[in-house]
Amino acid sequence: MAGPAAQPGGPAPTPSARRPVPVWSEWVGTVVRLALAVVWGWAGLAKVADPAEAAQAVRAYEILPESLVKPIGYGLPFLELALALLLVIGLGVRLVAGVSALLLLVFVAGIASAWARGISIDCGCFGGGGHVDESQTKYLQEILRDTGFLVLAGWLLWRPRTRLSADGWLAG
Amino acid sequence: MSEKNREGKRTARERMQEQRAAEEASSRRKKKLIVGGAVLAVIAAAVVTGVVVQNERSKPETPTAAPAGTIGDKNLVIPVGAGNAPAVLTVYEDPRCPACGIFEREFSSTIDQLEDAGKVYTNYHIVSFIDRAVPGKGSRTGANALACAQDAGHFRDFHDVLYRNQPDETNDAFGNKAVLLNLAKQVNGLDTPGFRACVNDNKYGGWVSSVQQDFDKSSYKSTPTVLLNGQPVYPKNGNDEITPENLVKWVDAANQGKQLGTAGSNGQTPAPTSAASEANNPSPNAG
Repeated sequence: MAGPAAQPGGPAPTPSARRPVPVWSEWVGTVVRLALAVVWGWAGLAKVADPAEAAQAVRAYEILPESLVKPIGYGLPFLELALALLLVIGLGVRLVAGVSALLLLVFVAGIASAWARGISIDCGCFGGGGHVDESQTKYLQEILRDTGFLVLAGWLLWRPRTRLSADGWLAG
Repeated sequence: MSEKNREGKRTARERMQEQRAAEEASSRRKKKLIVGGAVLAVIAAAVVTGVVVQNERSKPETPTAAPAGTIGDKNLVIPVGAGNAPAVLTVYEDPRCPACGIFEREFSSTIDQLEDAGKVYTNYHIVSFIDRAVPGKGSRTGANALACAQDAGHFRDFHDVLYRNQPDETNDAFGNKAVLLNLAKQVNGLDTPGFRACVNDNKYGGWVSSVQQDFDKSSYKSTPTVLLNGQPVYPKNGNDEITPENLVKWVDAANQGKQLGTAGSNGQTPAPTSAASEANNPSPNAG
């Protein structure tokens, strides 16, 4: 079972032992972990079907040079799917949460930059992407949504121990 | 009990505990490294696989099969009119794009006349990006059907029929091949077994995707994009709004003093003599 390993007959836990985390928080962590997994899984699957579309979504930000547009457009959905898979099984949760948070910050920065430069694009976060009519941009909603996902990643960075996880099983 | 005595009495048990704690810490560190390594390996493997697989899937950028008579270095452009006409009208259109439908219903007879008079050589780029934004596949199946019509020598007629019967943007009627084949019956000589097979088998699907990728890389972002000799003229040419009359005027001005191209409709239905625009409402029974 998870929780600090009891030292048989030991007086007090060694200084390096983890502070006990309430059980309810580990269950909250499980829910958060699976929710973030759904986000990445959905985002990844939506972009996998049409590589040209995914590349165009990246190109539309007008940030990356053409030589990087395709590798990013092609690789990003798979990165998202890998994060989803790792979150589902709960392996290396703190590291995965860190990568997730980093990625989300990059997305928010990209959207904010497009907004600031006055170009009209769909973020392409969940498929689609590319240029849209100026009246159809949703930069604020997109940034708020990503910020919400960032909160999920932040929780897991803070409390990476969750129930029903490979990490917990390995620490067994 | 003196301090020294207490030091000396540090029991074997305490020392064992310390050692065990150190071992546990080291094994935890090792586990962390292994898990971290595994996580990074999974991520790296996924990304590399993704890049390779998607690169393979998005081929060919230069399609293996292009419709007959297409031009450009990758044969992505469908030309209409006389190749020796002095002016080139370049049109980027998506079969599902409502603004393209409005443009075509207003301008197609004028453009057909300009072509038949040997005044313009129209270069069509049939793009298919509405499917990305609005659910459906009508841009791609429609573009493929247009490619099939080009192959059969009836592009202009079928193109005009499609836009006259364009459904609402959210209605994916063009995604239904039966609708496209039915509309093809309005074009004399197009409804052949070869054309039907071409539409049903999505014969030029790779070509359609290449045309779109070429558009993705262009600096143009919306459809219709209309260029006269490379100069954007839609929705305005400088300060002048595009109208059928203005378009004719601009073409004539550009052609001033130049030899007109071969007149004739190049196998298509000859253009109507009046420039009356089509009724500007899509057919309700397209769906």
